[in-house]
Amino acid sequence: MSDSNNPPKYTGPGSPQDVPPQPGELGFDPYNTPKPIRDEVLKPDPVAIDTNAKELKDGANQCPKCGATDFRQKPGTDLLICAFCRNEWRAERIEEEFGLGDGQDQLAGTIVASGASDIAADEAVLRTFKCNCCGAEVTINTQSEMTARCHWCRNIFGVNQQVKNGAVPDAVLPFHVKKDDAVARIRQFVDKRRFFALKEFKEEFTPENVVPVYLPYMIVDGKASADVAGKGEIETRRYTRGEGNNKRTYYDADVYQVDRHIDFTVDDLPLESSSERANLNTSVNTNNIINTILPFDTKNAVKWNASYLRGCTSEKRDLNVAQLQPKLVDQLLSIARAQVEGSVNRYGRGVRWEREGLDVHGSRWVSMYLPVWLYSYYQQSDDGGLLHYIAVNGRTGETMGSVPIQQWKLITVALTVGSFLETIALWIVAHSS
Amino acid sequence: MSEHSSLALLLLGPAGGAGLYWGLYRYYRNTDKSHAFERETKVDAKPVTGSDVKVGTNNGTQDSRISGDNVREYRTRVQRIRSGSG
Repeated sequence: MSDSNNPPKYTGPGSPQDVPPQPGELGFDPYNTPKPIRDEVLKPDPVAIDTNAKELKDGANQCPKCGATDFRQKPGTDLLICAFCRNEWRAERIEEEFGLGDGQDQLAGTIVASGASDIAADEAVLRTFKCNCCGAEVTINTQSEMTARCHWCRNIFGVNQQVKNGAVPDAVLPFHVKKDDAVARIRQFVDKRRFFALKEFKEEFTPENVVPVYLPYMIVDGKASADVAGKGEIETRRYTRGEGNNKRTYYDADVYQVDRHIDFTVDDLPLESSSERANLNTSVNTNNIINTILPFDTKNAVKWNASYLRGCTSEKRDLNVAQLQPKLVDQLLSIARAQVEGSVNRYGRGVRWEREGLDVHGSRWVSMYLPVWLYSYYQQSDDGGLLHYIAVNGRTGETMGSVPIQQWKLITVALTVGSFLETIALWIVAHSS
Repeated sequence: MSEHSSLALLLLGPAGGAGLYWGLYRYYRNTDKSHAFERETKVDAKPVTGSDVKVGTNNGTQDSRISGDNVREYRTRVQRIRSGSG
């Protein structure tokens, strides 16, 4: 029995006081269990690829030639350049470093790279690091920044060790498009959409305020099979009935039961891993703009090094692999449907797919920061307003945007054109009867 | 001119005005845009297999396409089945 001084000692599964077992520790000998249980227990666990950069200890992210910590990305390239000795070097491409470029057809189970592993709910966003130059403690808000300068000794810090709050990915794709280029592209995009643009937007339009942002994505390789079934129709006869104005066209068609099966692999499918960015509801946000500038040349992504993020902001990942699985399945089904389209061309009257199924045999998940030049404009309104984005792909320069509209102007023009067309229609009807 | 054609002609004004509005709205706001992952993702597919069995006829219809044609609506989900059983 227990009293208030000796609280009961909880034991057993699920008790918070129990020290969790070591990874792989079962607490029983699987070889003494029946075969079905033994087989299940001994199946391989999901494999994690360890992409943690061991050589980049926090605070010791140094130029390989002179040891300085003040270096940044050379604009327009994947190179890092030292501010002291001008030495240039390149981080390893993650595809070659970890063998992520091939083997899609050999995928089995869910393979998660270490930077894409589950986020620990209690992991803090604000992280304090000890400067290994002077010993001072420096705090970095990993929600939006990945580098900082020690305020005492000016040593540059980078969050390079993988912390379980989702802020450190496996890889980063450095910016190639420079700011001048991004500004020119945004200006060009808006110049094609000025006439009906909101007056305040035009007055306040300053594309020089564009900011470089690294957004979090999961890059997924997958191996899957899909089945789709439905009805297809082939026209056998076309004829008309009736006279004069009552003439109608009729069709005869043969109906077929159509079944298709496809095995396929996908390479580098990008999925938004920030829940805010993954919400693509165009009635409440303009995140679809950022979604549209996908894809990136993710093959060229380099192993994580926080120095690439100097001068840029970043958004922390807050979605895990399990939360993104439904989206992956949905996109793989869409890809399968697109792939089988060519096999039903003979059905001239089209196909109505009625059932579909997908079996994901294997997937490989790598978390990555992708570079986006982002210009934003907040349109105020009584119902809460809307944040409009104009986004430039930091690698390919693909530009997409949402330009707020001067509604009264657009409605007036639409009504004028409608009235003009209606006048012509009324004139024709009046003169033909 | 028949009553049908006159009615269709009278709809020209509202349809033209509304069409212009939505066309320009989408051009400025790009609400219809998203990543075309079906086309832009590298896919390595084995040859498609399957069967085609005639199950009936649809004669005397005035529709030029099969009802519910969704062959190009890749993202519209239909009833889910287990793969391999379909």
